[in-house]
Amino acid sequence: MSKNAKIILILLLAAAVLSVGFLLLQREQPASPVARITLDGEVLEEIPLDEVEESYSFTVDSEGGCNTILVEPGRIRVSEADCPDQVCVSQGFISDGTVPVVCLPHKLMIEIVGGGSAFDAAAG
Amino acid sequence: MVLRAGYWKKGLALVLALALTLLGGCQRQPEKHDRQVFAMDTIMTLTVYGDGLTQTAEEVLAELEYEVKWLEGFYSATDPQGDLYRLNAANGEPTEVNNPTASLLREAIELCALTGGALDITAYPAVEAWGFISGDYRVPAAEELAELAQKIDYTRIVLGEETESGRFVSLPAGMEAELGAVAKGKLADTLAGILAACDVHTALLDLGQSTIMAVGAKPDGSPWRIAVQDPAGAGYLGVIELTDLAVGTSGGYQRFFEQDGETYWHILDPATAAPARSGLTSVTVVGPSGLVCDGLSTALFVMGLEEGAQFWRDHPELEIEVLFVTEDGTLYVTPGMDERFSLAQGYEDREVQVLT
Repeated sequence: MSKNAKIILILLLAAAVLSVGFLLLQREQPASPVARITLDGEVLEEIPLDEVEESYSFTVDSEGGCNTILVEPGRIRVSEADCPDQVCVSQGFISDGTVPVVCLPHKLMIEIVGGGSAFDAAAG
Repeated sequence: MVLRAGYWKKGLALVLALALTLLGGCQRQPEKHDRQVFAMDTIMTLTVYGDGLTQTAEEVLAELEYEVKWLEGFYSATDPQGDLYRLNAANGEPTEVNNPTASLLREAIELCALTGGALDITAYPAVEAWGFISGDYRVPAAEELAELAQKIDYTRIVLGEETESGRFVSLPAGMEAELGAVAKGKLADTLAGILAACDVHTALLDLGQSTIMAVGAKPDGSPWRIAVQDPAGAGYLGVIELTDLAVGTSGGYQRFFEQDGETYWHILDPATAAPARSGLTSVTVVGPSGLVCDGLSTALFVMGLEEGAQFWRDHPELEIEVLFVTEDGTLYVTPGMDERFSLAQGYEDREVQVLT
């Protein structure tokens, strides 16, 4: 085998090793969960739930009324609302992206992005 | 370093094989695009993977959203412009409805007939009387219910003369129809058709949890994993795996109110105009047609376990699989459902009976 061929092979090998390394680095890191709060599709706030150390709550005022949102380490919920159906309140905490908390009358939504979820959707 | 030619060849082959494997692994997974749409009294999440043949994924999503809003306008019984609103307000006079409404009405009536009236799209006056539309819940007295039940009869909807843009439909004065039990299912079928026409083969259409359409498989080729709500609590009791199939769920927990210690839910028995108490707390139907899954989840809930299971046995042509959850928490599944269903963590001891 000629010297040139050897050099090409060594280069190829080196390229292969490098690309393996690159691919391993590129591999998707499980991102941490972020709660995204939107009002009629507009993003109000994004809260990285992993960085929450102490529980706190705040209120979101909209045309329809107001919702109190409770944030705890790793999870989030609507704790109070003045909507007629109270569906958002009764849903309780969410901690992954399976289903969002939605207050339909106020067009408020809390969804968790990043962090993945065990399911693609929920029927019910 | 001295290597014989044979080793070099083997080395070369190895390197090439490795390079090819890596290239394969490198192939980009189609990118995920999603969009939330407030429509039909719920929030829908439309997710598509990858671009269409001539359109980007975002353009495809825009087209889906447009279709949702367009059909919502036609189907609506609460919007004064909506076909069903106009039909219900027409006091018995023939009303011209738009083509999409006319064809959904025809399909819905067929489904009502197939279920022997367990599904009835003319229960609207009763749904209103219980306050499920306005939110001002009340329990109508026995006489009022008897009167309301008299008004529930889908066979009295008359599909009349067809026109260029639609069809004349009439309904006796005092009766009212609505498409809530079938509209999302039909919408799922329509949206899946648009996706196929756009050459998008991987998508998940969550039309507000009660109706979900899984288009194709997930980007990695595995089936979509759809959790099933525990009717008795806040968790998920299991997961259904599916590819290219629709899911419809009806449960008493979805909309209800409590009065004097009694729970009253929104699924009414057309025979009594009162909440359907058949011993079931939820029914999930999986099958190729969104419309059938959506409408039948309600109908089978009204029928109850025995009659519902018999319906499934009698109608193999519908290609449906069913999960029934009873009041005591027992799960009953058809064999095809059993294959794709598994209990969630924390529910492993739940009794699952396979129907035959």
